[in-house]
Amino acid sequence: MKYPKYQYSSEEQMQYYEFVSIGSKGKIRKIVEYSTTSVEGVYNLAFGDYDEKTDGIDDKSITNNGDSQKVLATVASTVYAFTGKYPDAWVHVTGSTIVRTRLYRMGITNNLAEISEDFHVYGLLDDKWEKFIIGEDYEAFLVTRKHKINKK
Amino acid sequence: MKLEDLNKSKVPIVKIDKKLERFRGKVLFPEKLEQANTILKKVGLPDLAQ
Repeated sequence: MKYPKYQYSSEEQMQYYEFVSIGSKGKIRKIVEYSTTSVEGVYNLAFGDYDEKTDGIDDKSITNNGDSQKVLATVASTVYAFTGKYPDAWVHVTGSTIVRTRLYRMGITNNLAEISEDFHVYGLLDDKWEKFIIGEDYEAFLVTRKHKINKK
Repeated sequence: MKLEDLNKSKVPIVKIDKKLERFRGKVLFPEKLEQANTILKKVGLPDLAQ
């Protein structure tokens, strides 16, 4: 994605990522997780704020740190990192709210040409996956690499 | 790598942080995972050939 993004770190399996959002509310630690699902080779992407006080994650918080586009671009970048490690993986993502799912859809829409160079992109509509079409109101998204690159 | 280069690059430079190993094996977003499993069970995966 052509937008600015934060630098992030990961553990060796590349399934958990961390970066720091910096904005009007200060510094907020973000965690991105790729968890294994009940279907082999399919991972669920989720991210949220890390709360140091509770040592927990909140994926419903509305941070309003004024950098949502940069945060989304950073999360999108982790898809490149993750699928670099797991080139055959499918990545499923949906928002914790309808508004957030719509935000993801807009993020994909605004970058579809670039994303489509590297990924097959699908949207879930009426209990069916279809190739992502701009303007459709999808409930969830699924991507997988077009060109399976060498595993590390 | 400078931040400007990072922002231009599609392939990210990932710093390894061993502190993140503490999350390994944990499900940090159980509701999201359950939702994904429900969808996958119901709908499956798309056919790449289509």
